[in-house]
Amino acid sequence: MTDVTMTVNGQTRSASVPPETTLLQLLRDQFHLTGAKLGCDVGDCGACTVIVDGQAVNSCLMLAGQADGREILTVEGLASRDRLHAIQQCFENNGALQCGFCGPGVLMSAKALLDENLNPTTQEIRDALSGNLCRCTGYTKMIEAVHDAARLLREDSPAKLTHARPEVTAP
Amino acid sequence: MKQRGRGIACMWYPIGFTVDANPSAATVKVNEDGTATVLTGTVETGQGSLTVLGQIAAEALGIATDDVHVVSADTDSTPMDTGAIASRTTYVTGNAIWLAAEAAKAILFETAAPMLGVKVSQLEAKDRKIQVKNYPQRNVSIGQVAHRSQVILGQPAIGSASWNPPTVAMDPETGQGKPFATYVYATQIAEVDVDDETGEVEILRIAAAHDCGTAINPMLVEGQVEGGISMGVGMALQEEMLFDANGRHINPNLTNYIMPTSLDMPEITVDIVQGFDPTGPFGAKGVGEPTAVPTAAAVLNAIHDAVGVRVTSLPATAEKVLAAIKAKRATEQKQIPA
Amino acid sequence: MNEHSRILEREKLDIAETLRDADLRLPAVAPREPFPIEPLTPDARQQTRAVGQRATRPDGRLHGLGQTKYIDDLSFPGMLYARIKRAGIACARIKRIDTSAAEAMPGVMAVLTGKEIPTNTFGPTFQDQPVLVDDHVFHAGDGVAAVAAVTEQIANEALDKIVVEYEPLPAVLDPVAAMREDSPKVHAPDSNIYATKVIRKGDVEKGFAESDHIFEGHFSTQMIEHVSLEPHAAIADWDANGRLTIYATIGRITLARADMARTLKMPMSRIRIVGTIVGGNFGGKNEITQEPALALLSKKTGRPVKGVYTRGEEFTSTTTRHPIIMDYKTGVAKNGRIVARQIRLVLDGGAYCSWSATTLGKACILSPGPYKIDNVLAEAFVVYTNKTMTGAMRGFGAPQVCFAYESHMDDIAKALKLDPLEIRLLNAFDESSPSPTGQVLHSVVVKETLRKAADRFGWEPRS
Repeated sequence: MTDVTMTVNGQTRSASVPPETTLLQLLRDQFHLTGAKLGCDVGDCGACTVIVDGQAVNSCLMLAGQADGREILTVEGLASRDRLHAIQQCFENNGALQCGFCGPGVLMSAKALLDENLNPTTQEIRDALSGNLCRCTGYTKMIEAVHDAARLLREDSPAKLTHARPEVTAP
Repeated sequence: MKQRGRGIACMWYPIGFTVDANPSAATVKVNEDGTATVLTGTVETGQGSLTVLGQIAAEALGIATDDVHVVSADTDSTPMDTGAIASRTTYVTGNAIWLAAEAAKAILFETAAPMLGVKVSQLEAKDRKIQVKNYPQRNVSIGQVAHRSQVILGQPAIGSASWNPPTVAMDPETGQGKPFATYVYATQIAEVDVDDETGEVEILRIAAAHDCGTAINPMLVEGQVEGGISMGVGMALQEEMLFDANGRHINPNLTNYIMPTSLDMPEITVDIVQGFDPTGPFGAKGVGEPTAVPTAAAVLNAIHDAVGVRVTSLPATAEKVLAAIKAKRATEQKQIPA
Repeated sequence: MNEHSRILEREKLDIAETLRDADLRLPAVAPREPFPIEPLTPDARQQTRAVGQRATRPDGRLHGLGQTKYIDDLSFPGMLYARIKRAGIACARIKRIDTSAAEAMPGVMAVLTGKEIPTNTFGPTFQDQPVLVDDHVFHAGDGVAAVAAVTEQIANEALDKIVVEYEPLPAVLDPVAAMREDSPKVHAPDSNIYATKVIRKGDVEKGFAESDHIFEGHFSTQMIEHVSLEPHAAIADWDANGRLTIYATIGRITLARADMARTLKMPMSRIRIVGTIVGGNFGGKNEITQEPALALLSKKTGRPVKGVYTRGEEFTSTTTRHPIIMDYKTGVAKNGRIVARQIRLVLDGGAYCSWSATTLGKACILSPGPYKIDNVLAEAFVVYTNKTMTGAMRGFGAPQVCFAYESHMDDIAKALKLDPLEIRLLNAFDESSPSPTGQVLHSVVVKETLRKAADRFGWEPRS
């Protein structure tokens, strides 16, 4: 068994898991954070995307042990107790999620992009979402929603929009 | 060099099953406060059908989308439904819910008529009120009526109904008949760049004009069209399940089975063409499947327009397009007189 | 309290008062104050002309929060995990299945084979598909045995311990070859052609004779997978009263219950199907797949059993889009009016019928295109092959035939030096046009869509 301790959505979490356990399995089965989805288990579909130390990663390809000591942000950590994250609000307003299965991964890829770049071009958004397969939406409304969220985040004071729990920062 | 081309494709598509019965049943319960609960046996499979069905119930009762809660997909508690198939949910399930809401509304009208001192036929439900037609100032709130109906008069406003699209069997020899109650129509026009040295096709933009009768929720209709186009893009250029000589799958994974990503999608404009079908709920037909129908055809016609080759087997992969370009060049060279 | 005062008291419940408070629709993590974004229509969900509003989806918020519970997000106390062993061979006779080593593994709670299924066939038109094959393999993705274990990993390992001996048989892979009398039969002794459809209107031969030009075109399409992002998944719970609850990613629960009742020989009142939010359907989740096997594994073990397909199984063991071979012959007058059209469609039906009969019918009816044609002959055949079954997929054959009739249309336009838009407007249905099946069409707006799209695109005729 491997002992791991990491910060998940601002809280310190520990677990003892078999060494072959992926970060996705750890999040879903041990921490009961079922937002990240298993779509292919080999890093093709992006439904399992979470943010590790500021970077969007496929959690099905990362071992739980590799995440030891790192900061993880999942879709459950995006909203605060009293408000949706701008990306979530804009996805909702645009009807950008249909069946929603790819949604948590898409949102985390969008979050990783907007953390780096608050003024992305359409091409930059397409690039950022290119690892997240979606079969329902044709990505069109997702791209519009990311543009809207970027605009909101630019216009509003960062303090107001930062979610209540500590932000994930690079080590 | 990149060659630009444009291609057009139009289509027709039926709503519901081919001749066979495909009924939906529904129950609409108006609560004592004038909100409503809808019971339907259909399943939300991502298209937003429950939102649309709620809007239909709300419209019939003169209340808002938010005032309606839709309960779905439990064989123990919801009425039968043929389900999320054949682009039928808005049209068939929508009609059943509309009829069920009308039945519930009839009970409310029975209660409201003496309250307002008019006949039932003079009433309408609008803006969360039951009011006298042409005299909207003579009204009573729907909550007040629903409460009186259920709690005072003992007549809860609950309506149930079912609907099945009317069809006529097809003659087995000639196929003549009326297999479907209604059809929708659409046109998509694609603009592509084809690299005549690599055969690679880039779809630049698609203009889509779709008929769905009344668009109950235009935002969700757009979402269907955009999603349908992405499937059409995959069908046109990328996707193919391959088998070896023994019938075993070669590419049963998303590494080797290529479907569209955000980088493959063109700019899309969606126009919902004005339409009204008197047989649908508030004039609505359907939109789910037809969105995926004309895309591949439009793209392949655009390739033909760009480089003059007709690819007749899908998908039009770069290899296939390049081979067709080379074959065309070879033919043209042969035709040059010596 | 008199009646009057009671009513007044209760009027406070009136929705006009209470529901304007936006908090009512917000979950625990929602904003206390509205987020400062202008929706496309302010408060579309609050408008009392509900139809026509760009109302947001209540489920959309839950999707974005990661709160939507798909099947794989659900678990029950004591739940077991099921996996299915796949044949991996396209056509074979099963000589022997030995599950004893798998059953002996610690953590394996039950193994199930096809012989244990009360009625081991299902299908919406023809009941030709076994839940688990018992003596014959029809395609490589067929399930041979199912295992329920305490973890998914143990279930996977148990699959390797199941020994199946096959006698390989020649596989039928080409649908055209499969149509020949002397072809091996996929479901012997029946013909491989398992459904046909004919549309006959007017007289095509006469129409061709009257035409100024005759055009022919040959087209074919590929097999396509739905690729719903959520794989097929279900949980079966067989309780002590002999009542079965199935949580499943199925778009048609009414049919699913009928199929379950039939395969398990159970009264419908003892079966409850709960459809959760389906993570993508597109026609691929229109019927049962593994559910009867999960139900029987739950019955055997007395514990809830979950089964989730791998992405590989999504490709090999669920329905797909029909490849269609399409031959078109069209007679056209000098001015571009279509006089006659003859069509022949051959659909690769894969190993089982599934929704092939429906696809065949729709493809055949739609194959002439949205055009006024007095003389039509369309013939369609669907053929068994030893490949993944083809079934319902968004459009039921329509995208395939549209590719053919619209490619063909452009070839005709080019030869006659007509603008592609013009030739379509010349031939397209009008209100009350008769369809190829003689149906008088209503609410016909095909020309409006042509003009609208051309307008938006900026389509200009080229000289």
